[in-house]
Amino acid sequence: MIVIRRSAERGHADRGWIDSYYTFSFAGYQDPAHMGFRALRVINDDRIAPGRGFGAHAHRDMEILTYVLDGGLTHRDSMGESHTFGADTIQAMSAGTGVIHSEFNASAQEAGHFLQIWIEPAIADAEPSYQQISFDPREKRGRFRLLAAPHGSNHGGAVTIHQDALVYAAVLGSGENLGQSLAPGRHAWVQVARGNVSMNGEALAEGDGAAVSGEQDLSFTGGPGGSEFLLFDLA
Amino acid sequence: MQDVNALITFSSRSGSTEKLALAAALGAVQARANIRLRWLRENVDDETVDRVPGWRENRERMTREYIAPREIDFLWADVLMLGMPARDGVSSPELKTYLDGLKVLQSAGRLSGKVGTAFTAPELASLCSVLAGLDLIVVPPGPTAAGNAIHSARLHGRRVTERARELQAGRTAESKSTR
Repeated sequence: MIVIRRSAERGHADRGWIDSYYTFSFAGYQDPAHMGFRALRVINDDRIAPGRGFGAHAHRDMEILTYVLDGGLTHRDSMGESHTFGADTIQAMSAGTGVIHSEFNASAQEAGHFLQIWIEPAIADAEPSYQQISFDPREKRGRFRLLAAPHGSNHGGAVTIHQDALVYAAVLGSGENLGQSLAPGRHAWVQVARGNVSMNGEALAEGDGAAVSGEQDLSFTGGPGGSEFLLFDLA
Repeated sequence: MQDVNALITFSSRSGSTEKLALAAALGAVQARANIRLRWLRENVDDETVDRVPGWRENRERMTREYIAPREIDFLWADVLMLGMPARDGVSSPELKTYLDGLKVLQSAGRLSGKVGTAFTAPELASLCSVLAGLDLIVVPPGPTAAGNAIHSARLHGRRVTERARELQAGRTAESKSTR
């Protein structure tokens, strides 16, 4: 079964310095019908004005992934990490027993476009940690580039999270095909970061998401202008 | 478990009191408090700022990252934590701004039952008595672990949050038993 979450149906808040679309309930947008999917709790599609961002705030017991689509982000946290990163990078913060951090658009001139993803951890009170991995954009071109994998799994080049979840990014040109199999009993969430893509015949546009359950073979075809999308393989 | 809201307010120029504030806030988060971090704006002219290396950069960054405490922050908080650089006297304008904000609420009876503390400050004992005079339940910091102010601030943030939760639980039990 595939259930589509259209871009325009998402929660929306434009506070001037930040324009956000919420795939699932977040902050002032609360809808009991959209509280997440499996362990996936938040996908926020944020556009942040030049030089603006989130001041110091806390997180606890959450796996937080940040994926930059355009521009750059400057991160500082209570673990002493201070980094600026851009596209083709996956950043992961395991909040565990507690982290305080700030995030700002690194550019004083250009707006930034970021995906912020929260995955519920399988364990509480994990030791807080920070990971950041950059990759060659060719690694997601026409194939799935693994961004995040469970702790203890042996995947090089991906950040690790305290949950049985795999997160991939892929870029497809128009008419280009890509398939992925899900193990029996697994679920998937597909989130279109940009452009158009079809999945098992369903047309998905930028900002659309799709919940997949009870399907084993996923077949993607790049739509007009091509696409970049994320695939979450979830328990 | 009951929610504890902790407001951590600090004054900082070089960023070292900011680090202690972050540590105190982290301790509160570890004890499952909701936190807000606020920075007391300093009223210093640019010329003075530029005489100290790094001050302007820090000021610009902190201006971006923190807002000053607002009345709604004081009202929201169950716990008020304060950090002031040791070099500043108790009569520093930043501290006066903070205490003046609290005095307004105290005279309206809005601070009663809240917990107050400082994780670093000059003349700590006299500051604690000022906080007590504002109707706050004061939890003084324990002795600083030698050479590890950051660690001590974190433990203090944690301990104060736990004390506030105990006080809340006590009040709930009391109101139930008198019902």
